[in-house]
Amino acid sequence: MTEGNGWLDRAIEALKEPVQFGDAFDRHVMAEIEAGPGPRAWSSRFWTILDWLRRGRPVSVSPLGGLALAAGIALVALLGQDMLEPEVQGAPVAATVDGSVVQFVIVEPAATAVSLVGDFNDWSAAANPMQRVEGNGVWSVTIPLTAGRYRYAFLVNGSIWLSDPSAPPTLDDEFGRPGSVVTIGES
Amino acid sequence: MRPGASQLISVLALVAGLNAVAVTAVAQEPRLRDRLLEPTRIAVDAILDSAHAEGLPTEPLVDRALEGASKGAAGDRIVAAVQRLWGELRTARISLGLGSSAPEIVAGASALRAGADPDDLTRLRELRTRQSLTVASATLADLVAVGVPVDTAVAAVIALAEGADDADYLAFRRNVERDIALGASPVTALGVRLGAAAAGAFSNVEPASSQGSQRPRKP
Repeated sequence: MTEGNGWLDRAIEALKEPVQFGDAFDRHVMAEIEAGPGPRAWSSRFWTILDWLRRGRPVSVSPLGGLALAAGIALVALLGQDMLEPEVQGAPVAATVDGSVVQFVIVEPAATAVSLVGDFNDWSAAANPMQRVEGNGVWSVTIPLTAGRYRYAFLVNGSIWLSDPSAPPTLDDEFGRPGSVVTIGES
Repeated sequence: MRPGASQLISVLALVAGLNAVAVTAVAQEPRLRDRLLEPTRIAVDAILDSAHAEGLPTEPLVDRALEGASKGAAGDRIVAAVQRLWGELRTARISLGLGSSAPEIVAGASALRAGADPDDLTRLRELRTRQSLTVASATLADLVAVGVPVDTAVAAVIALAEGADDADYLAFRRNVERDIALGASPVTALGVRLGAAAAGAFSNVEPASSQGSQRPRKP
């Protein structure tokens, strides 16, 4: 050890010295322990059962039984998902309506810029640039819309036209580019 | 000709010219000025003037022209698209009634574009006298867009007309689209969802006994 570490040695030695606490400290600690979480006697059986349930233990299952168990879990997961899903939910909806505010979403991991263009913004690429959601290639923008039926599309990197895969397509392709429609009710 | 008469004619001609310029300026849609070439803009402006004079909504026509411009379409293609939409808006308004709202007329035009008959829109109006037809007409067009035959789509939308509200129509369309996405044929998907609606899945839809459903009416 070098001379320069002398202070460190002294600090270590000091920390090794036993620390003396007075009787008052001991009494205080014991009082806190006794006043702790309260009596459990009335529910000791409950806590015993809970402890038993929480305790890990090995379970042996035959290969066939394991397979059946896995199939059962998968079935419950599938049925449960279907049961939990509201009836009104359909395929993933990129344009979701919340009152008159509509969120448009598209997944384009390779894009550097995406704009929402449509009847609601004079088909201007500058009007509604979409924001990239960090880390997953999702682009999103939310805009207010009044009642009506709107044609729209996504403009990727200023030159690639994409329809919304989760919205009804436009019935025609009058201008040689894909498009989608969103409808906002009046009532 | 006397000099005085000549001057009077010149002034009248100037006034007439200024009036013409003023009328043209009023009729020009400013949003088209920088987006369309001059001949295309003039042709579209003329259509807008006519549509306005007929009391039709002109905003969808402007939108269609701007869509064409944004997508880089040729001028004649843009004019043709605007002209076609103008005709559909006119037919939709006649079918839906003169008091129809602009969104209703636009959605009605999309239903016509999908292949619906003008009489279908009239029938829809008769069945939904108090509700907007925007979503109902749009649902018809959307169903056709995902592959449902137009006659089937018309029958479904009319079957729901008396009880379904806008939310019901939107849910119906989404459910049909989901079933199609999961592999069902469009007709099957529509039939299943229509059966569910007739069985009372929609809060406001009565069992469709009047549309030929065989299901017993719920008490």
